[in-house]
Amino acid sequence: MLYTFMVYIALSVFAIGLIYSLSSWFRFNVGINADGMTPWARIRAAIKGIVGLFNKEKLTVLGKVFVFDILLQNHIQKQDRLRWIMHMLIFSAFMFLFIFHALDQIIVTPIFDRFYLMMNPWLIIAGLILLTGLSISLYRRYILKVPRLKTSGMDLYTIIILLLIILSGLFMEMTKITSYEYYQKIWWVHIVVCLFGLAFLPFSKMFHMFTTPLSLLANAVMDENSDPANIATRQVMELDACTHCNTCSRHCSVAVASDHLGNDTILPSERMIFLKEYVANKNISSKKLAAIGQGIYLCTNCDRCTVVCPAGINLRELWFSAREELVRNKPPVDLMLTPFSYFRGLNHRRIDQEQYDIPLENVKSMLTSGCDFSAEMDVAPIVLNQGSHEFHEALGLSKRIESFTYCFSCENCSTVCPVVTNYAASQQSLDLLPHQIIRSVALGLKEMATGSKMLWNCLSCYQCQEHCPQGVKVTDIFNTLKTVSLKTTSSTGKK
Amino acid sequence: MMKYTLFVGCNIPARVQQYELAARSVAVNLGIELVENQEFKCCGYPMQNSDNRTFILMAARNLALAEKDGLDMMVLCKCCFGSLKKAAHQIQQDSKLQKEVNTFLAKEDLSYSGNAEIKHFLSILFHDVGLTEIKKKISTPFTDLSVATHYGCHALRPSDVTRFDDPVRPSLFDDLVKVTGAKSVEWPLQLECCGAPLVGINDTLSMDLAEKKLADCNRAGADYVCVGCPYCQMQFDRVQNMMVSERELTYEIPSIVYPQLLGLAMGLSEESLGLKMNTMTISNLESYIQMETQMETEN
Repeated sequence: MLYTFMVYIALSVFAIGLIYSLSSWFRFNVGINADGMTPWARIRAAIKGIVGLFNKEKLTVLGKVFVFDILLQNHIQKQDRLRWIMHMLIFSAFMFLFIFHALDQIIVTPIFDRFYLMMNPWLIIAGLILLTGLSISLYRRYILKVPRLKTSGMDLYTIIILLLIILSGLFMEMTKITSYEYYQKIWWVHIVVCLFGLAFLPFSKMFHMFTTPLSLLANAVMDENSDPANIATRQVMELDACTHCNTCSRHCSVAVASDHLGNDTILPSERMIFLKEYVANKNISSKKLAAIGQGIYLCTNCDRCTVVCPAGINLRELWFSAREELVRNKPPVDLMLTPFSYFRGLNHRRIDQEQYDIPLENVKSMLTSGCDFSAEMDVAPIVLNQGSHEFHEALGLSKRIESFTYCFSCENCSTVCPVVTNYAASQQSLDLLPHQIIRSVALGLKEMATGSKMLWNCLSCYQCQEHCPQGVKVTDIFNTLKTVSLKTTSSTGKK
Repeated sequence: MMKYTLFVGCNIPARVQQYELAARSVAVNLGIELVENQEFKCCGYPMQNSDNRTFILMAARNLALAEKDGLDMMVLCKCCFGSLKKAAHQIQQDSKLQKEVNTFLAKEDLSYSGNAEIKHFLSILFHDVGLTEIKKKISTPFTDLSVATHYGCHALRPSDVTRFDDPVRPSLFDDLVKVTGAKSVEWPLQLECCGAPLVGINDTLSMDLAEKKLADCNRAGADYVCVGCPYCQMQFDRVQNMMVSERELTYEIPSIVYPQLLGLAMGLSEESLGLKMNTMTISNLESYIQMETQMETEN
């Protein structure tokens, strides 16, 4: 009686969880896709998309993905043999136990009738196989210490719940012969743990048994030109499909920056955890927002994460969407004025022109607000900055940087600068010319040295530095000035 | 046999795959052995003007990996090349920095001492392979093809660090183009920046700079612009393609990465050079070869 009651409770919680998760795919969105669309419109678009799949070509693609990527998990096998063995052991044993043991009344009894006990040895073998898989998982995390493999609370929960299920099951079988009393007690433990796992499944990493195959299938038939509504839906679903396996972070091009700066959200796998929370609740502290802004922007868009993801998640597009939303937040993402903006610039046509420009303008005005060039030029006499010593200190004063003292204002740097040459009224357009920036540095005028449009439009093409007769390392100095300026304005508190 | 560890960086595998494809095909043909290292990551270039220390560490890790392989690096991208060179230069000048770098690298059992040389693809072709050897492999040279060579800023400058070629009057790239039978045109803006560093920061300015260069190529009578860097290639290929519609350019100067040009002159197949992977069509190039082979058959 109690058992039946518990089964129904677990199934109800599972069903509610499933409905909640499924609905979230249509209610939430990551970034710019499907802005302002109702969940109903997105459900309609999804149905239309699914109906469109019923043709020979698409079904063949889906069939191939089902066999090779879902059943055989080719993606994992290509990346890491040990992990593939681990996952195949867990996957096959789990499926076997689920079908022939958990559903025994539905499947085993009708087929084998009175001989159902002959299944028992197989169940124990499956249990041991699953245990082996879990041991490999623990070995990878705690003994082998795979680089950048971070263990989240959810990862730990998944391992523990599976261990509890399997160990209680095996003990139960062992006590069956020796003590009926113990057997009964352990039977209850086994049932409670299994039902808890079932009820909690839609909220846990175990949900990936549905979502990861779905992500693999969806990405096999979708691309950039798919219906934006469906892309938005897929992207939220992909957050559930992520198993936090860390393959992406192992291959991440900028992982070294994460190691050094201590900002985990630079790593793709950690961004996924953040985004999952963020889509459901967008009210987060501005400090956290700044960290994630840096995390998501500090990306070379090298596509490696997308190529290696075993769940087939289109991470490139996910970052693109998330980035567009995050750059609109305050404080602005200061990395926007670095080459990390390259990919965004290449794809500017995919973004509404105004929405493309506003974040850039915000950063530019933040970084150039320190100095009012129009006023200062005509009237205000230049007052030497008291803090010039600290400013020079902040520049690092390495041999290359110190070279500004040799400048004799020949203006060669400004003459050869392709940015200066591009403007008819260069002084008005750029606030300062390169040689004037160097003079500001020498005079210790920090706001002037770091606040001109010239500095933030510098290409770093090194024409100025190459042509300086005095050996002033003009471009290196500019790069240092930008670094100093970003350090003071940045809210992420870089080292 | 010449042996290098290939450094492709971030842009090439994502957006300019034809460069790697063609470089590998050409390398095989010239007897250059390329070794993979899956552990290479970003060279640090995009961090250079926001956080110097992170930049140095990112670059140093790659240098240490090459050192561990005991091989010199063959770098395809000029921005990667420049960054790695600059980082190595900075570390070598500052023993305190080197110590700090090595403490950081020790976590991954790596260390940097500066034993691996950083070489750009074009330098390897010119210095290590040599024009004479390349010439031996040219089977279908171009005729009547005018090419504008674009050197790329971060290979040339700062010259005291990169030591690629004469920063004011370079000739290495022109010689490499001439060996294919093509003519290398003189154009005043040859050594200027392509504008790529400002894509996404100041797109108008970036396109202004690219447009000026292309107009200059056009005035000099170039049929193609030839590059040895994925950023320059993107600028003159994908960005030019955008400019054709956004700015109504009256001319089009398609861009080609050098190993594509060289590979064609070596008689390598179109697929092995990824000619169809360029945004702007460059199939017209083959007509400059066909004339030659036709002439040969007529004779």
